[in-house]
Amino acid sequence: MNNRNSKIIIEDDQNDFLYQKDKSKLDISFNRISFIFFIFFIIFVIYSIHLIHLGSRNSEIKLNDDKKLTSNTLYRADIIDRNGKYLSKTVSSIDIGISSQKVIDKKKLIINLKYIFPKKDYKKIESQLKNKKFFYLEKKISEENYEKIMKLGDKSIQPEEKLTRIYPEKNLFSHILGQIDDNNNGISGLEKSLDKNLKISQNPIRLTVDTDIQFLIRNELLKFNKIFDTKGSAAILMDVNNGEILSLVSLPDFNPNKREEISDINYINRATKGVYEFGSIFKTFTLAAAFDEEIIEPDTQFIDLPKSLTCSGFPIREYDNKIPSSLTAEQILIRSGNIGSVRIGQKIGEEKFKLFLSKLGILGQLNFDIEEVGRPIDFNWGKCPLATASFGHGITTTLLQVVKGYSIIVNGGFNIEPTLVKKDKNIKKEKILDESVSKKILPILRKIVTSIEGTANLANVKGYEIGGKTGTANKSFDGGYSNKKINTFISIFPTKNPKFILAVMLDEPEINKDYIYNYRDGSNFKLKGSPRNTAGWNSVEVSGHIIEKIGPILATKYSEIE
Amino acid sequence: MSKFFVVLLIFFLILSTALVKNSTKRVDDEIFVLKENIRSLKKDFENIVLENNYLSSSEKLLEFQNLYFDKELVKKNIQEIKKINRNFDKIEISQFNFVNE
Repeated sequence: MNNRNSKIIIEDDQNDFLYQKDKSKLDISFNRISFIFFIFFIIFVIYSIHLIHLGSRNSEIKLNDDKKLTSNTLYRADIIDRNGKYLSKTVSSIDIGISSQKVIDKKKLIINLKYIFPKKDYKKIESQLKNKKFFYLEKKISEENYEKIMKLGDKSIQPEEKLTRIYPEKNLFSHILGQIDDNNNGISGLEKSLDKNLKISQNPIRLTVDTDIQFLIRNELLKFNKIFDTKGSAAILMDVNNGEILSLVSLPDFNPNKREEISDINYINRATKGVYEFGSIFKTFTLAAAFDEEIIEPDTQFIDLPKSLTCSGFPIREYDNKIPSSLTAEQILIRSGNIGSVRIGQKIGEEKFKLFLSKLGILGQLNFDIEEVGRPIDFNWGKCPLATASFGHGITTTLLQVVKGYSIIVNGGFNIEPTLVKKDKNIKKEKILDESVSKKILPILRKIVTSIEGTANLANVKGYEIGGKTGTANKSFDGGYSNKKINTFISIFPTKNPKFILAVMLDEPEINKDYIYNYRDGSNFKLKGSPRNTAGWNSVEVSGHIIEKIGPILATKYSEIE
Repeated sequence: MSKFFVVLLIFFLILSTALVKNSTKRVDDEIFVLKENIRSLKKDFENIVLENNYLSSSEKLLEFQNLYFDKELVKKNIQEIKKINRNFDKIEISQFNFVNE
C-alpha cells in the first residue's frame, strides 16, 4: 500500500518537471518576439527619421538654391522704381569659347561655324586654332545662335555663362544708383550703400523714385542749363508727408553702363553732396523759428528799418532799395528783406535759432540712403553770424537738407527723413514743431508766388496752388565772394494741403538776352531777355516749366481722388 | 492574437512608410520640375518686362512721338483733365481738381 503511494508521488514530480520545461520554452519564444519587435521598431524609427528628412527636404533645396545664387560672385539683386520699372538689372549672357586642343576635325568645325557666323574673320580663327589655346569665338551670343552652335555637339565648343550689370535708363539715375567695379562691389550711390543687401536679397529692391517724373525733370534741367549757361544744376521732388523722394537729379551726370572712373569735381552730386550758401531761402527758417517761439505773428510790424547795417565792419544791405522801411513780418518774407530778417533773427536769439535749425536737420550731416552726403561747414555763431545766418549768408548746408527743413515747416511740424528706398512699414512721425507754424508760413509762401511784390511770379502755374521762396547767393571763394551765383527756388504745392516739395538749384547761371518769358499773371505779357541774374528770373522759371510738365502725373497718379 | 496585431501594425507601418516615401519622392520630383519651369518662366518674364520698360520708356515714347505723332500728342493742361464717375449705368463727368480752389 505504501509502495503505491510512493509511485503516485513520482508521477506528480514528473508532471511538475514537464510543466517547468514548457514554461521555459514559452519564455524563449517571448524573447524572440520582443527581439523581432525591437528590430522592426528600429527599422520603423529609421524610416520615420527618413520620412521626416524627406518632408523637410523642400526647405533644404530652397536653402541650396539660395546658396547657389549668392555663391555666384557676380550675383546682384535688381533695383526697380516705385512702379516696378527696372533701374538696374543683372542679366546673364553666354560667351562661346573654343578649346583648340579638343578640336578633332578643324575643317568640319570651320565649315559649320561659317554657316552660323558667316561674317566672322575665319583666317584669324584658323590661326587661333593652330595656337592650341583657348579663345572666345563670340561674346554675348544670341539665343538662336547658341542653340545652333550647341547642336553641333563639338566638345571643343565651350559655353561660359556671365553676369553683367546693366542700367537701362543710362544717365537718368546715375547719381542715385552709382556704379559697381569689375569685382561686383558697389563703389558709389545705392550700389555702394546697399552693397551687402544687393548681394544677398533674392527680391528686387524697390525705390521711391518715378522714372517718368525723373525723365521730365532731367529734360527740363538739361534744356535750361543750355538757356542759362549753367555749370550744373540739381532738383529734388519729395513727398512732404513721408519723405519719399520721387525724383533726384544732379547735372552733369554720367552713364554707369560705361564703367568710367569719374574724377572731375563738376560731376559731384549737387543735390546731396554739394554744400552751398543758399541765401534768402533761409529767411523762411528765420520766420518759422520766430513763429515756433511765438515771438512774432505774420502781422507784427517792423518800423523804421534801416537800408543798411554794419556788422564787424561788413555792410548788410537790402538787395532792392525799393523795399519800404516799415514792413510786417509777412511782408519781410514776401519782399525778401535782409534787414527785416536780421531783426527777426535778433529777436529769436542765437541759441534758439541754432536749436531750431538743428531740429530741422540743417546744421549737421544728414543720414541718407547714399553715402554721397555733404557736411555743412561748421558755423561760428556770434552776434554777426546770427545776423548773416538769418538771411542765409555765411551759413551753408545741402539742397537735400533744405528740402527736409522746408518739408517739416509745411507738413504740420512732423519730422521726416528723406528716403530713396521704399519702406514697407509706415514709420510713426514725431511732431517737432507746432502746427501753427505751417498754418502761418504757407499763406506767406503762396503770396511770394501770387503777389506783385513777390519774387516768384513766374512759377504761378494755374491749378497747382504753388507757394515757395527764392534764394540768390553769391558763391564764396578764398574767404570772399565771387560774382558767380547759386540760384535756388523751393516750391511747395498745393499750399492749402501740401503734398510735394520741388527744389531747383542752378549753379552759376548766366543772363540770357534772347530768352522769352511768358508772364503767368493772365496778362499774356512776354518779356525778352533776363533782366537780372536772380533766382526769380531763372530757377523760378525752370520750376514753373517742371511743374507744368510733371503736375498732371502727380495730380492724377499720386493724389487721392475723392 | 495581440501579437498578430502588433506584427500586422508593424507591417502596415513599414508598408505605409514605403508608400509615403515613394509618393513624396515623386511629389518632390514634380515640385523640382515645376520650380525649374517657374524659374525659367520668371527669367523670360523679367527679360520681357525689361524690353517693355525700354520700349515704353519716356525717351523712346518721345522718339516715337517725333516720328509718328508730331502734332497729335500735346501736353495736357491740368484744367483739361476730367473725372469720370460711373454711378450704376449713369456716367458723370466732372472737373478734376488737384487743389480745392
